[in-house]
Amino acid sequence: MDQKNKTICQITGISSEIQNSLFKEVFDRIQTGIIIVDPDTHTIVDANPLAEQILGSTKDHLINHVCHEFICPAKKGACPITDQNSAIVNTERVFINKKGEKLAILKTVAKAKINGKEYLIESFVDISDRKTADDRKVALIGFMNESVLRIRRPLELTKMNMQLIADQVKTGEFESEEIRMELQIQANNINQMIKNLDELVRMVAEERGVEIPKKFREFLLGK
Amino acid sequence: MLAPPEEIHAMNIAVIKKILEHGCTPLIITVNQPFKVLTKIYTKAGIDSSKFYVIDTVTQYSGGVCENNPRVKYINNPSNLTDLGIAISEILKQMPDTKKCIMFDSVSMLLIHIPSATASKFFHFVVNKLKLSDVSGIFLCVEKGLDPVILSQMSSFVDKIVDFET
Repeated sequence: MDQKNKTICQITGISSEIQNSLFKEVFDRIQTGIIIVDPDTHTIVDANPLAEQILGSTKDHLINHVCHEFICPAKKGACPITDQNSAIVNTERVFINKKGEKLAILKTVAKAKINGKEYLIESFVDISDRKTADDRKVALIGFMNESVLRIRRPLELTKMNMQLIADQVKTGEFESEEIRMELQIQANNINQMIKNLDELVRMVAEERGVEIPKKFREFLLGK
Repeated sequence: MLAPPEEIHAMNIAVIKKILEHGCTPLIITVNQPFKVLTKIYTKAGIDSSKFYVIDTVTQYSGGVCENNPRVKYINNPSNLTDLGIAISEILKQMPDTKKCIMFDSVSMLLIHIPSATASKFFHFVVNKLKLSDVSGIFLCVEKGLDPVILSQMSSFVDKIVDFET
């Protein structure tokens, strides 16, 4: 046991065996994926259960395999930590798991010395849900924006057109067929705006999927 | 050109007058008022109806009768961009070889009929066609009636975005 661990044991009064067991429990139960990589060979030397779950591979498949086959998109010889001396701290990354699914993760890589040898501790959390929520928020803002463009502004113009038609009737200079045509155009446009609104609501309902209660979603989709 | 909704009709008339003052022959693409009504409004504003050409996308849409006039082409619906593109090419060929300028009234009304992304692609196509034919073009729009993204896309292929001032 090194000096630092001895000191911790003296302070806490916990024996080294208990401390090892404690760290093992934390390693196995923490809600963060952790893999330990040998920087000399870039092979994975250990992985916790959440890392197995996120990466979609069992520990047997991970250990002794090079890290860029799983968690890192960098090619051999282009490791951001050992070859390029960059820092990865809470950095957003996307990787493809064994099932072929794209997953967004927040990743940190820290260097640590264990028994005198340096290792890379890669920790990561799955942020796919947050990214999906962000994408939906952006899509929703897009739909809102489109509804303003395709409904609100044209409605303002329709209001102006109706006023213009009313003024034209007052002058007595326009034939009844001309007034009818103008009114019909406005009626058709309002009808089209209602369709646009229905279409936008349907798109939002389809996009937001499971977040909307099934019954309400079916109602929005007109089922 | 951008104007508040209450000034879009005034902007239309002011722009046509300016085009004529500059010795250009205007081609008006209307997605708002039928040719017959447009002619009356222009005549009332002192604009000679023999001086302009029109592509009318709303007379058939309103169930009106399309009068035969060599200066007018009718499209069955404002959303029919294919026919509209063809009509623009045909009428530009038919116009005299003086300076020509098209005026689109209005981008905001077209957005009732097609999504903004499709409108942006269509205007890109029209602007390219005009540049190749050495024809000027003015697109009327209600201010804040365009998505900022689309406005920035449009500003990349139009020469200028102008605010209308009375």
